Amino acid sequence: MRLVALDTLAERIGLKRGQGAAEARAMCPALDVITADPAADQAFLEGLADWCDRYTPLVALDGKDGLFLDITGCAHLHGGEKGLVSDVLSRLFSLGVEARATVSSSAGLSWAAARYGNVAVIERQEAGRVLAPLPVAALRLPEETAAALERVGLKQIGDLLEAPRAPLTRRFGSLLLLRLDQARGEADEPLSPRLPVPSFSAERRLAEPLIDEEYILELTRHLAKDVRASLERHGEGGRLFELLLFRVDGRVFRVRAHAAMPLNDADRIAALFRERLQAVHDDLDAGYGFEILRLAVLRSERFDPAQQDFSGVPEESQPLAAFIDKVAARFGPDCLMQASLAESHLPERAGGFAAVRDVAAVIGSPASEEKAFPENRPLRIFTHPELVEATAEVPDGAPRSFSWRKTQYRVARAEGPERIAAEWWIDGEDHPTRDYFRVEDQEGRRFWLFREGLYGREVAATRWFMHGVFA
Amino acid sequence: MAENAVQRQTILSLRDTIARIENCSLPGIVRTAKAADAAGFRRGSEGTLHRKVLPLGIAALDDVLKGGLPLEGMMEIRNAETRDAGAAAGFVAALAVLYQQVRKEKGHLAPVLWISQALASREAGHPYAPGLRSYGLDPQRFLFVSARTVKDALWIAETALLVPVFAAVVLEIRGNPACLALSESRRLHVRARAGGVPLLLFRQAGEEEASSAFFRFQIKPAPAGERPLPDGSVLCGSIDHPAFHLLVEKSRAYAAADIFLEWNAHDRRFYPLDERRSAALQANGPENPVDPLSASAGRSHRAQPLGRLLAFARAS
Repeated sequence: MRLVALDTLAERIGLKRGQGAAEARAMCPALDVITADPAADQAFLEGLADWCDRYTPLVALDGKDGLFLDITGCAHLHGGEKGLVSDVLSRLFSLGVEARATVSSSAGLSWAAARYGNVAVIERQEAGRVLAPLPVAALRLPEETAAALERVGLKQIGDLLEAPRAPLTRRFGSLLLLRLDQARGEADEPLSPRLPVPSFSAERRLAEPLIDEEYILELTRHLAKDVRASLERHGEGGRLFELLLFRVDGRVFRVRAHAAMPLNDADRIAALFRERLQAVHDDLDAGYGFEILRLAVLRSERFDPAQQDFSGVPEESQPLAAFIDKVAARFGPDCLMQASLAESHLPERAGGFAAVRDVAAVIGSPASEEKAFPENRPLRIFTHPELVEATAEVPDGAPRSFSWRKTQYRVARAEGPERIAAEWWIDGEDHPTRDYFRVEDQEGRRFWLFREGLYGREVAATRWFMHGVFA
Repeated sequence: MAENAVQRQTILSLRDTIARIENCSLPGIVRTAKAADAAGFRRGSEGTLHRKVLPLGIAALDDVLKGGLPLEGMMEIRNAETRDAGAAAGFVAALAVLYQQVRKEKGHLAPVLWISQALASREAGHPYAPGLRSYGLDPQRFLFVSARTVKDALWIAETALLVPVFAAVVLEIRGNPACLALSESRRLHVRARAGGVPLLLFRQAGEEEASSAFFRFQIKPAPAGERPLPDGSVLCGSIDHPAFHLLVEKSRAYAAADIFLEWNAHDRRFYPLDERRSAALQANGPENPVDPLSASAGRSHRAQPLGRLLAFARAS
């Protein structure tokens, strides 16, 4: 067992990372050793990243123990760069997280200064002065490169700044100079944000945390009004909305809602979240309340505002979209389905259901080309054909009687067979052929039965299945 | 004289109320009294009391329905056993086709919403798109929801009735769940009438139970006809258009006998089964009928009491 991470107190005692746990205990018998849990650490870091969303939408994870925040254009909202750093640190401290932070003009310099220096804000022209006394390990180099540099006496970054570039590259590889340039802000380093940045968003910071769902919804409606203004300016309507709820204790809830057609009406957006919040009610623990609410539009589409006519009859697509959204918000997007036809011989593939995502698919104009589909298909079909025991007069003939769900049926009339071979390009060559019969029993119930396998050619004993019922 | 006039007014208003409750046209005497309103105002609701109906074109059935299928409100269709669900589903789907046609004539391509309790569609089979198509329903305009519980299904039905976009809403429920009793059915009925949407409550394998529906039919399977040949004869042993055996269990008008129908998907309308065959079916039924399953343990199958049954005990 080796030590992976230490807190400030342990560092002060003189313990080091990579030390054996037994040795550390010998140095300090009262040591509290906890087994490392990288997955939980990762989850915690992600949670912190969510929390940092309050400062900027551009949050990137950095390894196992760091976060990059791109605060371009955000700092003035939080009282300047100094104010922002102290706000982050004091809030994290009150959450029980010990952190270090540096604001600078490049990610590399911030990384180096936050881990090895003690400056909070570095101006652009001070970069060289701050960087010079830091050890070379602050350049985010692989361990062997850092060790090799130290072996030849290049211990501080300042030593590298004056050294000629060509021999350094030849000896230590191109990464060293890339990192050096990145730290000095001469090479660009793009950060990849953890989550896509929403095109439109609006947020409210509250002096008093909110707990009641009604107030949350009311505030959502106000946020939707703010979003609407910017959506209208771009002539767009949102299709996917996200409501971010920042809880006082640092947890962040994300609630998403789909819209079946581009939407910019505040009341309808709020209605979406009304259903959604009711559906997630149990998972959404308000605790001591939410302090920040943000509404973001994650996906938007072109929206042509239509004028309502004077007849007062609402257009069909609007109420239908509202219905689709309501059902989807409450029971999930796959609950409401639309019948669909596919070109396939196999009955179970020929007809299915697909989730309704768009209003136009339901009340749009009918598909132009009419494909030929077989007539005489049952109205209801069993997803898994049910095994029946059937007796036929001749092995290849229609059944005379069969027993299905523990009841015996005598066949009065039968039409068939309709032979449907398996689709070898999907199922493989040796899938049995089916002979379908449409049978009517003596009381007038009409069933769709099939015999699986060609008698004597494909299988030794055929089996009968009930696949559907006719009207 | 004055007392007489007051009494007369009371009676007229009571009759008016009863007519409203029963949702039929006003009795003649009330109508004339209203027309002779001294101030000369007519109330707006008067004309709308006449129900909008969709005639089915079958005299026996249209008489029972007082003119035809109502275009709004709740109707109940049930079948006694799960294995008859195919026939009942066929009848419900045929009604949905008719309703869709009405909307199409007005220029709306309205979708049909079929809400099914997951248990019901698992037991009796899922709707099948090619089958619906050959039955006369456009798959593009057929929306299907499989609701996990009856309560979810009721919620979806109620939400759907609030928007006037659907040609018909079908609510398929299995048995007689306790959460769909008289008050809930009343609520759905009122919602359906307010939204102007027909709601077809399809009770699969359910008992008779008091409800607010306009009418309740029990659908039983009936042997189909045989395919006609060009020379006028029929193809022996073939199965033609689906046929239904319809029992009117609840209606405003008196229903004399069982009605036998046939659905022609090509013409998209019902036809009466020809008289000779329905008489034969009525007289002796099928040969060697299969005994229905025995009644479940909790319910006693006692002899029906004499007299007219006005209210059912709750089956749920």
